[in-house]
Amino acid sequence: MKKIKKQELARLLQQWQADYTVLAPSRATEVAAMAEWDGKDIGFLEWYRNTVIPPKEVILPNMEELFRFQKEGAGYRLTAAAPEAKQLVFGIRPCDARALAIIDLVFQDTYPDDYYLSRRQNTLLVGLGCTRPCDSCFCTSMGVSPGESGDVDLMCTDTGDELMIEGITAKGKELLEKTGGLAEASPEDGSRRQEAIEQARQRITRHLDTGGIAEKLQRSFEDKEFWERIAAKCITCGVCTFLCPTCYCFDINDEKTAAGGGARFRNWDSCSFAAYTRMPAENPREQKWQRVRQKVCHKYEFYPRLFNIIACTGCGRCIRLCPVNWDITETLKSVPAPTTT
Amino acid sequence: MAITDISHRQKFLADGNAYLPHIAVIEKIIDETPDTRTFHFNFKDEKLRREFTFASGQFGEYSVFGVGEATFCISSSPTRPDHLEFCVKRVGSVTNALHRLGEGAEIGFRGPFGNSFPLDYLKGRNLVFVAGGIGLAPLRSLIWNAIDNRQDYGKIDIIYGARSAADLCFKYDLDAWEKDATVNMTTTIDRQDKAWSGRVGFVPAVLEQVGPSAAGAAAIVCGPPVMIRFTFPVLEKLGFSPEQMITTLEKRMKCGIGKCGRCNIGDIYVCRDGPVFSFAQIKGFISGEY
Repeated sequence: MKKIKKQELARLLQQWQADYTVLAPSRATEVAAMAEWDGKDIGFLEWYRNTVIPPKEVILPNMEELFRFQKEGAGYRLTAAAPEAKQLVFGIRPCDARALAIIDLVFQDTYPDDYYLSRRQNTLLVGLGCTRPCDSCFCTSMGVSPGESGDVDLMCTDTGDELMIEGITAKGKELLEKTGGLAEASPEDGSRRQEAIEQARQRITRHLDTGGIAEKLQRSFEDKEFWERIAAKCITCGVCTFLCPTCYCFDINDEKTAAGGGARFRNWDSCSFAAYTRMPAENPREQKWQRVRQKVCHKYEFYPRLFNIIACTGCGRCIRLCPVNWDITETLKSVPAPTTT
Repeated sequence: MAITDISHRQKFLADGNAYLPHIAVIEKIIDETPDTRTFHFNFKDEKLRREFTFASGQFGEYSVFGVGEATFCISSSPTRPDHLEFCVKRVGSVTNALHRLGEGAEIGFRGPFGNSFPLDYLKGRNLVFVAGGIGLAPLRSLIWNAIDNRQDYGKIDIIYGARSAADLCFKYDLDAWEKDATVNMTTTIDRQDKAWSGRVGFVPAVLEQVGPSAAGAAAIVCGPPVMIRFTFPVLEKLGFSPEQMITTLEKRMKCGIGKCGRCNIGDIYVCRDGPVFSFAQIKGFISGEY
């Protein structure tokens, strides 16, 4: 394990900028997100708890070009979008890193999604353990430890004045090897790090028991009254899905430019909207309660059935960013328990 | 349900990219009804034209560049590989744009996607096709497939209906099947119509009148959801088990490959795990959202 003084972080990131586009927590747009680092500001070490826009955006942009088309005579020529340069994300939280590992499963399945996977391949994740989790965080209930992660390439832990840096993947270890200006961490540093990890874990105050949740949801699927009650205050704004690090649903749209040219894009979409599933004659999820049910069941029932993992990391965004204070943990706690027969 | 292996379906992706369409050329356009057209097409790339294969029941994502993509089954039969066909009812922006195209126009095609009708199960059985309106499109692929391998199947019954005589699709096929002595063809329309001297009645009721035997048979049903919902009980009454009833489900789709999320029914993705299902499978679905 290596370490660096926190005030020297800028020098470290500058070093990495030689080989990577470095992204770090930023408030440049007033909505905290991972954005290209400006080469000097490490003020995020003070204000950053987590980004509002989840770092999935770096791998699955909210609008991404799939290919361009150009009319040529009677026909068309198509040019697929080229993969981008190598990037390094500094400061991703363990919950958000886990989220990427979770949605990898969809994009890897059968028809490999080259756009997602090549960006994933070209992106190095440097995690930063939490020191000040939010009230809405419940990561420890979802198998995530706020202070540590196996889902990143390098993991940093804030021990007060210093950052401990540990290589996790081969790619991360290799980068750490060739990075200059780092000191070796001592055994005492190791125990300070362990302490910070433990403290972070203790600062998570919201808990959820997910035992048997898929079965409970399955039994409550047709309980329209329950779902109507749960969905009553939802205004279907879609924030909980757009800003969820494991929501990956998308739409595909064309845009025309001048003279028969244009491009096909994919955009984030959301099961919160009726138009998402609307067909000319019918819509299986026209009602709000059907859509809220879909969102909850997809994460806690369908996804685990398909991929053996719940598609939620307890990042808490859907709780703290919901305009009407809808709370997924309250919903899950109120799913009727199976009646024993 | 767990993720099933469908890796055998990956061939024919353009440059291995599941989102990049192949360029196809419209060779012929047939007006089926006032709002429905059949398009015959072929791939621009000659190698693909020679090598492309699919199975009855599979679908494609068709694009009009600059407007977007829409999902349609391949309505021709793999036993007639000279060209491919799809059938489009004019309802939205992409379907309207397709209707504005002429012969020679270039479109995009991704596919074939989805599963297909279970030929191994159907072989040796009597086949009962039940279709309504444009729902004949996926079935006609299988019907021609069966007729072209006639020795592999028992009796063939086709019960097809539409709202009016003008709404009957594939009239040239209906004529051909009418004339085919090995096919028992029944055509019906919902309401009496001056231009019509044939049978009148809703498809499920006519199916009951025709009354095909369930012994050694399979029923393949496709049409508007309301027709499908009323047809299953009639088939049950005729003695068909849920395993013997096969249908294709329709959901809004975008990607066609199980990623964009919208075509799910519980943990089933219609584009990936369907669109062909037996009623036995559908009955086991977690959700009544079909």
